[in-house]
This record gives sequence, C-alpha cells and structure tokens, in this order.
Amino acid sequence: MTALVFPALAFPAPRRALGLALLLAVGVFALLGPLHGLDPLRQDLSATLLPPGSAGHPLGTDHLGRDLLARLAHAARLSLGSALATALVAAVAGTLLGLLAALRGGLAERGLLALADAVQAVPALLLVLLFAAFAPGGFLALYLGLSLTLWVEFFRLARSAALSVLARPQVEAARLLGFGTGHILRRHLWPEVAPVVLTLFAFAAGTAVTSISALAFIGVALRPPTPEWGGMMTELLPFYAEAPLALLMPAGLIFLTVLGLHLLAGKEQAA
Amino acid sequence: MSLIVEGLSIHGPEGCIVRDVGFTARPGEPMVLLGETGSGKSLVAQAVMGVLPAGLRAEGRILLDGQDLLALSARERRGLWGRRIAMLPQEPWSALDPTMRAFGQVEEVHRLVRGRPAAEAAGAARADLARLGLATAARRYPFELSGGMNQRVALAATHAAGAPVLIADEPTKGLDAAMRDTAAALLLGEAREGRILLVITHDVVLAGYLGGEAVVMLEGQAVESGPLRQLLAAPRHEYTRRLVAADPARWASWPARPVPGGRALVEGRGLHKRLGGRELFGGLTLEVAAGEVLAVSGPSGCGKTTLGNMLLGLARPDAGEVRRRPDLGPLSFQKLYQDPMAAFPPTGTLGQALTELLRRHAIPRAPAEALMRRLRLTEVLLGRRADQVSGGQLQRFGLLRALLLKPALLFADEATSRLDPVTQQEVMDLLREVVAEQGTALLVVTHEEALAAKVAGRVVHLAPQVVGLSPDGVPEAALAL
Repeated sequence: MTALVFPALAFPAPRRALGLALLLAVGVFALLGPLHGLDPLRQDLSATLLPPGSAGHPLGTDHLGRDLLARLAHAARLSLGSALATALVAAVAGTLLGLLAALRGGLAERGLLALADAVQAVPALLLVLLFAAFAPGGFLALYLGLSLTLWVEFFRLARSAALSVLARPQVEAARLLGFGTGHILRRHLWPEVAPVVLTLFAFAAGTAVTSISALAFIGVALRPPTPEWGGMMTELLPFYAEAPLALLMPAGLIFLTVLGLHLLAGKEQAA
Repeated sequence: MSLIVEGLSIHGPEGCIVRDVGFTARPGEPMVLLGETGSGKSLVAQAVMGVLPAGLRAEGRILLDGQDLLALSARERRGLWGRRIAMLPQEPWSALDPTMRAFGQVEEVHRLVRGRPAAEAAGAARADLARLGLATAARRYPFELSGGMNQRVALAATHAAGAPVLIADEPTKGLDAAMRDTAAALLLGEAREGRILLVITHDVVLAGYLGGEAVVMLEGQAVESGPLRQLLAAPRHEYTRRLVAADPARWASWPARPVPGGRALVEGRGLHKRLGGRELFGGLTLEVAAGEVLAVSGPSGCGKTTLGNMLLGLARPDAGEVRRRPDLGPLSFQKLYQDPMAAFPPTGTLGQALTELLRRHAIPRAPAEALMRRLRLTEVLLGRRADQVSGGQLQRFGLLRALLLKPALLFADEATSRLDPVTQQEVMDLLREVVAEQGTALLVVTHEEALAAKVAGRVVHLAPQVVGLSPDGVPEAALAL
C-alpha cells in the first residue's frame, strides 16, 4: 500500500548509495591503478597469461605478458573519461536545444524535431561508424559521433518537460507580472528540467561506456595497443580457455560501471 | 442496521489529530460531517472505511450492526469493502478506469463483487445505468462523458456492489451549481432506498439539501451536532455561525462603487470562440469600465475563463477584436488564479518570489510590507514555499503580487472556488477592500451565481450554446432523480 502511494519509498536511498559506491570504486581503481607503476604497454613474452596473484602482477598478465592491472586501470580512465565527456556534450547540447524548441516553437522547433527524427532513424552505432570512417583512429571522431546520437534523447526529454511547465498557470502568471524569458528559464523551467536531465545523464553515460567498448571490440576508433575494456576482450577472446578470468575482468568492469550508473539514475525511474 | 461511531480519536506521529468524535448514522437519514479542510472530517471517513494513511491510528469504537470495525484485521476490513461499506470516490472521473466503457465498469461489480453469472450481471448493469439515465452512455468511455455523467457512472458502480453503507467524501468538489444539485439528488436517492449515507463536505448548501443529521467539525473536534435544518437555522457554536454565514447567498451585497466614466479599460467587440468543435460564444460584446466590479458567471465549460483571458490578451478570439486602453501597459492587467498553488513556482520561498518581483520593477520594500500587513500576511510566510502555506494565505499572496503592480484591472478567475467557505469569504472581503482602495477594476469569473450577484455591479451570464446535453439529448439537469 505504502509502496503504491509513495513508489520512491520502495526504492530507498540505499539503491543510489550502492550505485554511487560502485562508481566510486571504479573511479578509485582508475585513479590509483596507474600508481602501481607498471607500463600498460610493456610486453614480457616470458610471462604470458599469468593467473591473478602472480608475483609482480596482482591480476596476472595477458597473452603478450602485459600487466592486466595496469591495462584495466588505464582502460577505466579512458572509458569513464570519454563516457562522461560524450554524455556531457550531448546533455548540454540536447538540453539547450530542447529548451530553445519549447520556448521558441514554430520553425525552429519543427526543424529541430525533424533533425532529431532523422538522427534516430539511423542506428546509433552506424552513425558512429560513419564518423569514425571519416577520421580513422581519432578519439574526437568517436566522441563526436557518440554525442551526436546521444543528444536526441536529452532534446526530446528537455523539450517535453519544458512544454508541460510552460503550459502551467505559473508561467502565465510570471509573464503577466512582467518577468522575462531568463527568469522563466531559471525559476520555472530549470527546477523541473534539471532532475530529468540528470537522470538521463547517468543512463547516457552508461550507454556511452557500452558503446565505446562495443566499438573497440569490433576494432573501430581505438586501436591496439591502447588499453580499452572492449578492445581487451577482443584480444583475450582466443585465450578464454586458458585464462577465463582475464576475459571476465574487463567484462566485469563494464558491467559494474553501467550498473552503478543505472542504480544512480534509478530513483527517478522508479518514481 | 446502524453505524455507530463512539469516542473516535485519530493519532498521528505528532499527536492527536481527531479527538473524541461520535455519531450514529441510521438508514434513510443522511449523516453529514461538515467542516473545513484540515478539520479531520475526511480522516473520520477514512477510519470508518479502514483506509487511514500510514502512520495514523484510530482509537474508540466504530460499530456496524454491533460489530466493532476497529477490532478487525486489515484483511477482514478489506472483505467488507463494496459488500458492506462502499465509498464514492472524490472526483469520480479520475477514479474510473479510462480504458473501460461505462457498461463494463458497472457490470464487473455485479460479476466480481457479487458473484453473479455473466448474463445476469449484464442485465443488472443495464438496469443500473438506465435507472440513472445513462442507458445511452453505456458504450462510452469516461473521457467521452461529462463530469456529471461520470459521477453517475461511479455511483452506479458503487450502487451495484449493494453495500448498505455508502460514504461520499466531498461529492460536489469541482461541480458547478446545476451538477451539485444533481449529485445531491442522487445521494439522497441512495439514502431513501434504505442505505446508511455518510457525507463529508464543506458545502453548507449541499448539507442543507441533504438534510438529516450533522456533526460540525473544527480542528479535529466535533463542535456541534444535531438535525441539519435546526443547525443551519440556529447555529449555536461560533464556528457554525461563521460557516453558515459564509454561504455567498447570505453575504451582504458589495456596495456599488462610483465609476468615474471615461473610456473603458478594455472592450471586446463581436467576440467569437470555438473550442473542441463547440461554439463557446458568437458575437459577444462586452466592456469593463475603470473601477467597476463586473462578474461573468455560467456553468462549467461555458467559456467564462476563456472570455477573461481574451480580455487580458492571454487568449485570442477566433473573430472580433479586443481593445485595451492604449495608455495602459501590459502590467495594468493582472490575474488571480483558481488554483493558487499552480500559479507559483513549486521551488523557492514566497519571500524569494516577492524579492524578485520588487527588484524586477524597482518597487521599494516599505509599501510592499505595508500591503502585506493590509492583506494580513505575516513575515513568517516569506520563509515558506508555496506548498507550505494554506490556500487562503497563498491566494492573498497572489493578490499581493498582483496589486503591487497597481493594475487597472484585476481578473479573479474562480479565485476562491477551491477555498473553504469561511476562507473564501475572508479573501473576498479583503479583495473588496483593497481593490476599492486602489481603485482597481475587478473582473470576477465564477460558477456561483449567488457570489456573482453579491459582488458585482453588473453580471454577464454566459449560457453555453448547448446546455450540457447528454447523448440522448436530454439536458443534464433534467436527469436529476
């Protein structure tokens, strides 16, 4: 009964705390891992596929004898950093355009909606592949391509949230009292739009983590020997019979990161 | 058969909310709990039903045919719902299943609650709907029906369960005068069939119509009880007196104000407006003179608010023109909203809202504080958010906000229709005084004819082109039992 009336109570703060804890753990791993001092690129062909717990290699080594801890930690930095960067660009652009569309209406709104439809009509990864093809090996093309697919949801969500607020008497009252668009943005729209956008941001970052890994897995944009979770899975896949743990580690990190982001975002979703 | 409430107290985490309420409800004679928002009257109904919000606890005895309901387990009480005790939901149009036709909503009660075979249930549902004049509405969805018709569908569904006790919580909330009478007639019909009827309301007019017995509640206590007719004719307690006097029909008329003449503040010529394929008005001409009080009244959905919005430039007529006096800027036209909560941003304090307004228009603080005192708004309220003050306080704050801009015309759009009667009277009295002091013209839009007649120098009656026709072409009011 209580859960029906107050759905938020059914998914209390512990859920978000767990998400935050997971992300913090991955973040600490990304920051402290490199302090271990080993070069993620240094090969040692005399010590390949060592199991976790080996001397000098706490998590073992891969098929070229590279230290897995160093590689996973560097990859974590790359994944987290690029996921946050792409989601941020998408969030800022999408939200601003969504607010603009809701406020201006008319041709600007119709044009942006048509653009959003056009972007969504193309499968997201295909669009990124297209960008990557123009600038092979470049991080920037990857980020730009991802942001280009992610902004659409921010745009749609910000626009619909803003439209519902704009239809309320509170906005009409503010205009009658002589307040301008800046005031309406700040006092009426932002408090309503921000929570929705923040929730979507966590989901979008999760999507970016999986997308980057998926692209690296099929060998797009990020090239060996750059350590990347998806790329590491590709490299280790042929050796999964000998070193299953080595393959599980990058997969597990992707899982934990995306889980953490979704748990963090989950509160709004539940309510 | 009887429903006896004895020494009922309801305790919350912060202490006692309802203290020692008792009454006896008998079949055929409505029992009315009368009181304002926060008086605890709805909690009493919830305690009888067994749906008190989490954290609240009822003490005392609620005897239904000698069985103490408070001694039963939650599961046993749920077993009584529909079969022994039924509750007519507040605002039935939001309580009906939007994906189910009227027929299905009633038929399933016969089938599932009373366990009748499908063919028999269908026949009974058809008979129930026909009894309430809904025969032709059976195949329609709630969104295709008017508010009054939805209420009848909800009543038919409640009736179908055959519970001997019917509780109606604010059955006339959001209904205009004509629909209020219909709803009251329906409830009275239920009582006359031999049901125990418990009605929770703040509406003195509805209570007077129902008759029977009443308990007047104030701040969680029963302050007066007795036969309604006697109670309304000769109220003993101070609060009952105020409640009875707050009925707009008993107000003193507002004194006529001298109208200085000169050009009208705003004039609408040949206004046409269609909404949803229905003509609201065609060729309406109307002007508001400086300093006058003009009321526009009519049933809900007749376009009163749209008319006011057009005069303020917030809505556009399909044809015709609205001319505002050229020397008046847009700030000279202000509005009070029906739901004051919806007219304030939900975040930030009222003090913040006030400071922003003063800064925006370079209004000094001192006159604003003087006006605040005039409107009996205390400094404490400035530290609160819109949802942390009462409806009356917030509406007075809305009045403060509008009057600070020294408007020439204030449009009060059903500004007190959501307030309790006593609060409504207080706000309207204050409104009368301050607009008279500032010389502001007032455009009052209301569905209450009595209120319009008392406050305005002139009343414009808007009649919809087609008066709430039910699908079989019979006007709604004619369907009253």
